[in-house]
Amino acid sequence: MKFTATQTEAEVVITHEDVDRAHDRVRVSDARARRGFSSNARLLWLLAGPGVLVMLGENDGPSMLSYAATGARFGIGFFLPFVVVTFGMAIVVQEMTVRLGAATHRGHAELIFERFGPFWGWFSMIDLGIGNFLTLITEFIAIRAGLGFFGVPAWAAVLIAFVVLYAALMSHRYWTWERITLAAALFNLIFIPVALMTHPNWHSVGHAFATWKPLPGFNKDTLLILLADIGATVTPWMLFFQQSATVDKGMTTKDIRFGRIDTVLGAALASAAAVATIIATAPLFAHQMTTGNYEAAEFAQALEPIIGHFGASLFALGMVEAGIVAAITISTSSAYAFGEVARKPHSLNLPVGEGKSFYAVLTLCAVVAAAIVLIPGLPLVYVVLIVNVVAVLAMPPALVFLYMLVNDKEIMGDLVSPPWANILSGGVVLTLTAAGILFGISIIAPNIFAALGGK
Amino acid sequence: MTKKNIIPPPPSDQTWVLSSLEPDQLVKAKKHPIPRRHLKGPELLILWTLRLYLLFMMAVVGYQVWIAAR
Repeated sequence: MKFTATQTEAEVVITHEDVDRAHDRVRVSDARARRGFSSNARLLWLLAGPGVLVMLGENDGPSMLSYAATGARFGIGFFLPFVVVTFGMAIVVQEMTVRLGAATHRGHAELIFERFGPFWGWFSMIDLGIGNFLTLITEFIAIRAGLGFFGVPAWAAVLIAFVVLYAALMSHRYWTWERITLAAALFNLIFIPVALMTHPNWHSVGHAFATWKPLPGFNKDTLLILLADIGATVTPWMLFFQQSATVDKGMTTKDIRFGRIDTVLGAALASAAAVATIIATAPLFAHQMTTGNYEAAEFAQALEPIIGHFGASLFALGMVEAGIVAAITISTSSAYAFGEVARKPHSLNLPVGEGKSFYAVLTLCAVVAAAIVLIPGLPLVYVVLIVNVVAVLAMPPALVFLYMLVNDKEIMGDLVSPPWANILSGGVVLTLTAAGILFGISIIAPNIFAALGGK
Repeated sequence: MTKKNIIPPPPSDQTWVLSSLEPDQLVKAKKHPIPRRHLKGPELLILWTLRLYLLFMMAVVGYQVWIAAR
């Protein structure tokens, strides 16, 4: 329900969403009014969130599975620095969404629809919808598999995931939702102690970062892992989520610096967890264990002889966390995008009564994905295999929309991208497109792929 | 519907909200669409090229899944 208030001559409608957001902004203004280190620390505490959440949220079930497969298939080598570089790409891309959200106070889907029209808007929504839905299924696969390690039945695993999802939602406050989800997301770092338990050879780790060696062979397997690892860090839902969350949090152009720090901090934490996962599963490569069809819990089982039951349990819990946090952020991203396009209220500050469609879409996405995972006999492994690849393939069109919006002087004013940022983002688009084309060639024209040096 | 939904804040609070938020942060302001931008030829070419690229690559992924499933 809305009410009206009069400010000067114009009639202004204030909603509860506005009131909640204003509360958050007052705290930011108070912190900004002070000086010194404690003021900056307080501002970072208040303004950090979307960046850390999007980066740790993208360390999801299929992503951690990709990193685990990378360690088991290739050991410690080229992929350690490569994964860190992919997070560098993610920073370049996500920083643009912070600027867009802070400058326009509009979500990503909303801007595409309004600036480019419904024809292109629907294309990007279909890309997002398909990608999000497939990814959401894989999150529940990770949750089911991770809890399966502890003997929890599939239905109970799904129920636990819903309890956590709703515990975060029921506050009906963006701030509370963000803090609960952030606390859950930090458990992603559980992969670091698991890596330490494997007693890694630090000389090899240092050598890999310094030289990018040993290099993997150039073949279809390497290409698939390469694509999966890229897809584990840059995906379309991240663009939509971080921009919408930046808007929902009420960030303004004054907050962009902290939005950037938040994004870099998130990338640093997420890349540490990703590198740790590769290091954790590297012993499987060193012990020459086969990893052909490993799923989340099977990695934990395979690691048990090396790191013991406690270490394997931590690994399985890490997979559960990855799935739950991503299920929360991805379903929220879908709900934001739907609300923006349908011009329905879309905010985590909304009471259920005012945000029925927002919460309904969020719930529906999670329920359908979870229900699919519970259908016995479905070839879920194929979904897991392709989901990151699909994310990489869908990124170039999404990035071009982002590039056009962030260089649109009419909506961005002085905050349009500087030339160096455009060169970097152009490089990301070309890299992703080239990786996708190479993948396509390896599938439909293996002879040409072999001529290029692949096997 | 909760009590929070039906009781408007007092006028002093309304002023406080308006002074805390930027004008285009208000929910009401977001109801006004941003004007449409006219896409130029090269932009349309890039968008269409990437759209066809994506459709083609999705078919490739479908083919790969089909091969793997066999």
